[in-house]
Parts: sequence; structure tokens; C-alpha cells
Amino acid sequence: MKHLKFLLAIWKANLQSVMEYRVSFLTQVIGMMLNNFIYFAIWLIFFDRFKDVRGWGASEMYVTFGVLASAFGLVSLFFGNAFVLGDIINNGRLDYYLSLPRPVLLHAVASRMITSGLGDFTYGFISYALSGQFTWDGLLRFILAILLAAVVFASFLILVNSLAFWVGIVSSFTNLMINAMLTFGIYPITLFDNYAKLILFTVIPAALMGAVPAEYIRAATWQTLAQLLLGAAILLGLAVTVFRSGLRRYESGSAIQVEV
Amino acid sequence: MKYIRKYWAIFQITLINSLAYPGELIGRSLMIVPFMWIFYQLWKVTFSAAGTESINGMTLYSTMWYLMMAETIELSRPQLARTISENVKDGSIAYILNKPYNFLLYQFSNSMGETVFRAGMNALFGGLVVWWLVGPPPALQGWTFALLALLGTWIMNFCITCLIGLSAFLVEEVSPFMWIYQKFVFILGGFLIPLDFYPNWLQTIAKSLPFAYMIYGPSKLFVDPSMELLVNVLTMQAVWIAALGAILALSYRRGVTYLTVNGG
Repeated sequence: MKHLKFLLAIWKANLQSVMEYRVSFLTQVIGMMLNNFIYFAIWLIFFDRFKDVRGWGASEMYVTFGVLASAFGLVSLFFGNAFVLGDIINNGRLDYYLSLPRPVLLHAVASRMITSGLGDFTYGFISYALSGQFTWDGLLRFILAILLAAVVFASFLILVNSLAFWVGIVSSFTNLMINAMLTFGIYPITLFDNYAKLILFTVIPAALMGAVPAEYIRAATWQTLAQLLLGAAILLGLAVTVFRSGLRRYESGSAIQVEV
Repeated sequence: MKYIRKYWAIFQITLINSLAYPGELIGRSLMIVPFMWIFYQLWKVTFSAAGTESINGMTLYSTMWYLMMAETIELSRPQLARTISENVKDGSIAYILNKPYNFLLYQFSNSMGETVFRAGMNALFGGLVVWWLVGPPPALQGWTFALLALLGTWIMNFCITCLIGLSAFLVEEVSPFMWIYQKFVFILGGFLIPLDFYPNWLQTIAKSLPFAYMIYGPSKLFVDPSMELLVNVLTMQAVWIAALGAILALSYRRGVTYLTVNGG
């Protein structure tokens, strides 16, 4: 409860900060929604020509793209620093968070709001509404699936970025991993053979951010929900453990500064 | 000659700079590997579902090499719009403007220095993966024709991204323009799906816009080189470069009049 209050206070401050530049805020939100609409048109062209990829059509893509975009948007909005945690570690900027009586990881990742995330988050709902599979109970599942997919994605970002404790600069590797996660997450899972699927559930858990949540939204089964819950819990536990273990190796940059 | 030597030196300096961090360069270039692998999975299933070896003249082999060239072009683009917009927003443009060189030509030489080596590395890693997946690359003629068209692609991309960067004179945030430009390149340039697979009406629209000559042109020349296509691509590139270059020069001239430099 104490942590939740703390998070709400940070998010409020972040929101006030980004709303300071309203034109920029609106441009980024609307721009990102437009960007997603145009990007999705590629899939519409593809499925118009080829109709079906091993049981996946445009409708399935709408749901998958929707859940992935909203989960990505949620992480960007509320845990924006998760994308650049490696740079924060590497530049000695964790000093600021270490000097305050709050959970270091939570404080660090929640301290930035990426405005365009609101465009992604909103677009995801529109994509689901356009899928032709919209139902009210489906919408509730959509929201639950977004939350769990966001936990998976945020945990993955923390895990990858925490490598900075051991290897230093990881920005290229992080970009590579984020791109792989989003690319594999959006493509029909039926494309992949069993070995590839194993990778997509473990090393690059893109299936837990795209295909599995989408499957849960379309046809609710306890098995898919359990798969999602278990995946999210394991990844979150792993991310926190790896970060804490890396933190013991952290060397201060003597860079205590005021974060504005 | 002295005039050109100046920009050649800028190009060389950026080129050498990009080699200073080989780990970063290799890390960034490896991004093409998962993309090519996933494209292979998608198109293998698609061709197999269609029950044919050739769709609109493209085979799995030519589609994969086409996509390798398209990815190489896209992933090698420098973040020029962001650099220029930051220069404009933080005022550091003032330090570039008062140097004895043309701002636009300086940016062009600089961006080319970044692009050339990155493109080479992307083509190397992407080429190795595609070779392993579908077989050896197209013949030498494909490489030659594609390389000729690549220069036009880079100049067109420079004109558009520079225009987006300069729009920071008027708007606070230029990233949305960059995202949307990138998506137009994706769709109308034939970046993710070769234009040959599009419906005819969309092919006609795409081929009347510049994006097709930035991605589809060089990539198609790479896998299916012909003199007729080469002439068509180079002519259309020249037309678009003239138009975009004129707009860029005018916008730059007007943009500078908006500039107010306080102190320094």
C-alpha cells in the first residue's frame, strides 16, 4: 500500500511534467496512434493477398497487435526508465535512487513517462474493437491480458538492462532484444516450429507478450491464464533477483544529483 | 575541387568515428539477423500455403534476397532528423552555422559517413543469414545495379529526414513525423512486403510516390536486374531528388530566418 501511494505520487509528478508541453504531448500521442494505424495496414495488405497463415488471419492479428501495443504503451507510460535502465546503471545515476528511502528498482524505472506510450495504449483498445471479436467479457480479459503482458515486458527490459552491472554498455544489445521481442511478438505464433517456440517462451519471451495473451482474450481457458500468470511471475521474480544481485556489484559514480 | 575536398574530409572523419566503437557497430548490425529469420519463417509458410514456387514473379529465394536489401537500406539510415531537431532546439545549430561550410552539405557528408559502413555491415550479416537460409546471393549485375540505385536512395532519404529535422524551427516535437515517414517507407516503399504482391491499384499509387524508389527500386534491381528497370529507377530518383532538394533548400533558407540566437 505504501509502495502504491509512492508510485501514484511519482506518476502524478511525471504526468504534470509531460503535460507542461501540451502541444508536444498531443503530437506524440496522436502521432503514435497514426503510426500504429499505418503500420498495421501492412498486415491488412498481407492478409488481403494471402488470406491465412496456418489458421491466423487479419482478425487474430488485430487482437495480437492490440494487446502488444497496449502492454508496450503501459510500460512506456508508467515504467519509462525500464528502457534505459542499463544507461542509468552504467552512468552511475543509480546513486540518486540509492540515497533515498524507497525501493531502488521501482523508483528508478517509474521515474520517467514516455508520452507516446499513451498513443500505443489507446491504439491497442481500438485494434481490439476493430478485430470483430469484441465482447464485454472479452474486454475484461483484454485488460487482464494487457496487465500481465506488461509485467512480462517490463521484467524482460529489467533483466536485459541489468546486464549492465556485469558488462557495462548494453544499449545496442538492449535495442536488439527489444526489437526481437516486439517483432516476434507480433508475428503469428503458428509460423514457428517447436524449437523456435521454446525460445519464444524463454530467452525472448515474446509469446507471453503477444500470442498467449491474444489466445486468452479470444478463448478464455484456465490453461492459457495459468501459462500467462506463471510466465509473468517467474520473469518478474527473475528480474528482481538479477537486479538485486547486480546491485551488489554496483560502483557509485559519485554523481549524486537532483533528478528533475 | 577544394570545395569538394572539404566535404570529403567531413565524410571521412564520420566514417572513421563510426569505426571507433566496433562492438557498438556489430551489435547494431546484428539486429538484421532476427528480422531475416522471421521473414524466412513467414514467407516459407506463405509460399507453401499458396502451393506454388513463384508468386507474381517472385520466388522464396528472390523474396528473401529482396528483403535483405530492403532491411539493409532501412537499418542503415542515420538518425539525422533527431540530430538536426536537437541542434535546432538546444541552439547548437548556431555553432554549425558560423563555420565555413554549407550546413546542408555538412549534414549530408556527415550522414553519408555514418550510413556507408553501417550498410556494409548490415549487408554482411543479413547476407550471411539469407545465404544460409535460401542459397547464394544474386549475380554481380544485381549488386552493381542495386549499388547505383543506393546512392539515389540515400540522397532522397537525406532530403526527407533533413526536412523533418528542420521542422523543429516550427514545431516542438518532430518524432511523430519521423515515425509516420518510416511507416510510409514500410508500406509504400515495399519494405516488409515486395510491391509485386500488392493489388494493382496500390502498386500504381506506390510507384507514383518517392518511397518506392527508395526501397523497392534498389531491392528489385538486386534480385531481378534489367536495364529497363535501372533506367526507370534512376530517372524517377533524379526527378524526386530535384523536387525534394528544391523544397529542402527553400525550407532551410526560411528556417534560418526564424532562428534567434541569444548569447553563446
